[in-house]
Amino acid sequence: MSVKSWYERKYYGEIEDLPEEEYDVLVIGGGIAGIQAALDLGDMGFKVVLVEKEPSIGGFMYKLSKTFPTMDCASCIATPRMAQVFHHPMIDLLIYSEVEEIEKKGEGDFRVKVLEKPRFVDSSRCTGCGQCELACPVIVPHEYDWGLAGRKAVYIPFDTAVPRIAVVDLDHCIYCGQCERACPTEPPSIDFTQVPKIHHLKVGAIIIATGFHLFDARLKENYHFGEYPNVIHAMHMDRLLAPTRPYHAILRPSDGKEPNNIAYILCVGSRDKTVNNPNCSQICCMYSIKQAQLIMGALPLADVTIYYIDIRAFGKAFEEFYQQAKDMGIMLVKGRVAKIEQKENGDLIVWYEDIENGGKLCKAEHDLVVLSVGLLPNKEIANVFKGQKLEVDDVGWIKPVDENANPVETSIRGVFAAGTALGPKDIPDSVIEGGAAAMQCAAYLSEVRGRH
Amino acid sequence: MSEEELRIGVYVCHCGGNISDYVDVKKVVEAIKGEPGVVVAKDVMFACSDSSQNEIINDVKEHNLNRVVVASCSPKLHELTFRETVKRAGLNPYLYYHANIREHVSWAHTDTREGATEKAIRHVRAAIAYVRNAKPLEPIRQKTMHAVLVIGGGIAGLRAALDLSRTGLNVYLVERSPFLGGRTPQLYRVYPDGRRGADIVKDLVSELIRRDNVAIYTNAEIKSFSGYIGNFEVEVEIKPRYIKVPYDEIKEKIKELPDEIPDEFNYGLTKRKVIYYPYEGAFPRIPVLDLDHCSDVETIKELLGDAVDLEQKPETVKLKVGAVIVATGFDPYEPKEGEFGYGRQGVVTLPQLHRLMDLGNGELKLNGREIRDVAFVYCVGSRQKKSSEEEEVNEYCSRYCCNAAMYISSLLMEQGIRTYHIFRDIRTYGRHERMYDEVSRKGGIFIKYNEDEPPEIEEEGDKLLLKVKDLLTAGEQLEIPVDLVVLVTGMVPRKTPELDELLRISRGRDRFYVEVHPKLRPVETAIGGIFIAGACQAPRDICETLSSASAAASKAATVTLRDVIELEPFKAEVDPNICDLSKKCIEICPYEAIEIKNYEGIGEKAWVNKAKCMGCGACVAVCPTEAIQLNGLTNEQIRAMIEAAGKEVII
Repeated sequence: MSVKSWYERKYYGEIEDLPEEEYDVLVIGGGIAGIQAALDLGDMGFKVVLVEKEPSIGGFMYKLSKTFPTMDCASCIATPRMAQVFHHPMIDLLIYSEVEEIEKKGEGDFRVKVLEKPRFVDSSRCTGCGQCELACPVIVPHEYDWGLAGRKAVYIPFDTAVPRIAVVDLDHCIYCGQCERACPTEPPSIDFTQVPKIHHLKVGAIIIATGFHLFDARLKENYHFGEYPNVIHAMHMDRLLAPTRPYHAILRPSDGKEPNNIAYILCVGSRDKTVNNPNCSQICCMYSIKQAQLIMGALPLADVTIYYIDIRAFGKAFEEFYQQAKDMGIMLVKGRVAKIEQKENGDLIVWYEDIENGGKLCKAEHDLVVLSVGLLPNKEIANVFKGQKLEVDDVGWIKPVDENANPVETSIRGVFAAGTALGPKDIPDSVIEGGAAAMQCAAYLSEVRGRH
Repeated sequence: MSEEELRIGVYVCHCGGNISDYVDVKKVVEAIKGEPGVVVAKDVMFACSDSSQNEIINDVKEHNLNRVVVASCSPKLHELTFRETVKRAGLNPYLYYHANIREHVSWAHTDTREGATEKAIRHVRAAIAYVRNAKPLEPIRQKTMHAVLVIGGGIAGLRAALDLSRTGLNVYLVERSPFLGGRTPQLYRVYPDGRRGADIVKDLVSELIRRDNVAIYTNAEIKSFSGYIGNFEVEVEIKPRYIKVPYDEIKEKIKELPDEIPDEFNYGLTKRKVIYYPYEGAFPRIPVLDLDHCSDVETIKELLGDAVDLEQKPETVKLKVGAVIVATGFDPYEPKEGEFGYGRQGVVTLPQLHRLMDLGNGELKLNGREIRDVAFVYCVGSRQKKSSEEEEVNEYCSRYCCNAAMYISSLLMEQGIRTYHIFRDIRTYGRHERMYDEVSRKGGIFIKYNEDEPPEIEEEGDKLLLKVKDLLTAGEQLEIPVDLVVLVTGMVPRKTPELDELLRISRGRDRFYVEVHPKLRPVETAIGGIFIAGACQAPRDICETLSSASAAASKAATVTLRDVIELEPFKAEVDPNICDLSKKCIEICPYEAIEIKNYEGIGEKAWVNKAKCMGCGACVAVCPTEAIQLNGLTNEQIRAMIEAAGKEVII
């Protein structure tokens, strides 16, 4: 829910203003880049506040099944980091909170307003037992599973959420009070009297790690996403393949059948001027190859075909991973898919130019089509700076002030950026930039405070 | 502690399904419930989740547990997590054991649920046996040095050194070659901003040399290395330059010397003199005399007089540092004679093209001849296929080359030069796609070749003829006359076997340094306190190299900004009452950690220097009297674990 809409909901009562708190560094975004930055700074001895807008930290990574090219299970490697940052003595967290306004008073002096949204659950009492979830009669699509499964109007964000505390989704709540009655704590942790709070922070430096959002595949009308049920996007597939997968099986949406001939279409919403994104999204080739390999394991009889323009396996051990996929029998077709048609039984006909085999116009039948959607910037953060301009590029990614000297420094001195806030990138590169931004913060603070 | 007092909590993890899909977790819990000392036995969905950790803490408090076992994934992932949990519960963190029933059981035995369950039970029983015999241990606390050693004076090393010095830490920068800058100054102009490589280096160096907490050693190498995180001792040998004065003072005199040696800076395209200063702006400004290639010392003495001092000897400096950053960089791949026509007149590599353009001040000429048509052949020295296990090939993609070739093509095309691109996949990832788009729009011609049918390059008159089968035009065989063929060569890691041996850091299958975890710990090595930055870890471009350098600096700062560091207590310890001074342990210890010490009232016996001991256990294996034991893994514990694991399992 946007910050603005909280103000429109006056009926939650007055917004509570909290007294000013001081920190060395504000990290905006609790994904893997922000977590890394906070941990490094905390370990160096700086006092850090980490702001996360969702009800749990973790960002995008915890939703993934496994990660390329090592096939590490994503939640297995992300969860300890989440716990570490949560328990770090030098790091405070403001969860379910959004940065509203940042004003630079001088070097090493930023004043920040953060709006903490009410969870309507008392975090000091809630044990995360899930009784409220069981009692709640409202079912809505779960964001965590990209809508493949449902959640209640009161819910624990996901199994390994940090903190593992329930949150009430007021947009869908019918105020029946069943959660409150089911809550075993005394008094109940459900608390509808909570009001939004404004935290006033005085910080020395800022790291922006606000990540990305997925391209809305509906905008590529020729692929009929949202219209043909068996056209899904790749993050749906990642959930279907995850150890915490919703159905414990890979099923196609139209009839619940196990697919046995799956197509991947790469560069959906990337390298595509018709949707105003001429950039390559940098990770889609690899996550598609990863998923294809996982499908080979989960559905040994299924065929997987990847329709691509170029396979961009450029990172460490990526090319080897790509060659391994070819050896496993994953089919690769150079050609951008032009259109998809749906048959009566829900199967799909994919039209494409088979470039490497004479450039003929061909069609192929598949029972599930996965769109490898690209990454787009979260633009809101550029609007919170008062009196200063945070430079972004023509797509909206934060633009480093001098890429070939200090790639994580933004146009505002003392404000650094890391991870996918700067452009599409994979996990290791995000972690590296998290560390790099932490280093730049430490150097900047040491200098402006005259330690050296 | 006697048996009756033991109160053990055991938690068996489902890991979502990673474990429970193949191991009957409930049965494992049932099977170990009756083990002596077990008070709490539970299965949990995700033991590592915050809620499960809190559950463990509550159980410890509620049931007065004094030992904890978690059976889940590899201890590499979560042993530290649960030690922290146990610590938060108020227990000594070493009264904990982590049984690996995922990598060692569920993932290894997906074919038999019953067998996997049985094996998991054995693992958990062994873990219980371990904690039954566990004693509280205390981490070893050591003071740390507030100083960092950076090895390599390329942009990665320079960036890391600058970052660290800005926080007030002392930095020692050691560069093997006589000048700072590494490979970057050899680049004519680089994407995305078109800056000259030499200028990027100059900016970093000029900031660095202003600082009083940075010592720079060029023409220097690491000679010895010992110690551990927080406290490394290093000897650096600085080789003589034999020249005492700045370049400007003897510039004119040097010009009188003959050109003798292929100039490495220009990849052999030109020759240099025995006294050299590679490029304008190079640091330090003092040239170096290449004595190995000098045939006539007397002439040089005569010519330069006091400016030259042949009596200079290597110097050694001893350093104490808390952390080390290795940034030894890469070498461009050198094609074999005949590989894609390499060796023919008019066939150059991408790094050589940069030098040609720099030497021509941006204009491209080869032996005075104007160039009209240039063909870029991609993936030279990258994405190679292995024909046998022994063969050393580069199977990896070198990441930066497509972008770099695309950028320099657009510069050439601005001069009216036609470019052909003979590629396998164009990998201009991210925003670099724009450069590809620009070259296409300007009329660059793209031809896709099959790796099994690589292009052939022949001479035809004073031109070159490139023959290639184009997959984009239905496999048509094309013959393209060009003036210049540029082999877009990849990166190979700089070979530094002596350094690897001294630092004990390892390389992966691709021969780049291997990080401890490729996803979440990309700049850390398996040796605590030693970090890797830049292209020595994987191919990357300048921007990415700078980021990784700052990330490595960040990690080094987390070690060296602290006053005290805690080390694991898993060290060998001698019971002087049993030791019969066989000295076998002293002979076998690879870390020279064991000495003879006079124990009061006992006499001379072996003694372990815990700061040096790495806990490898070699001494334990050779001790004839079992006087030497490893804390945290005693012989008693191992025997108990073997016995417990061997017990019959009835499911």
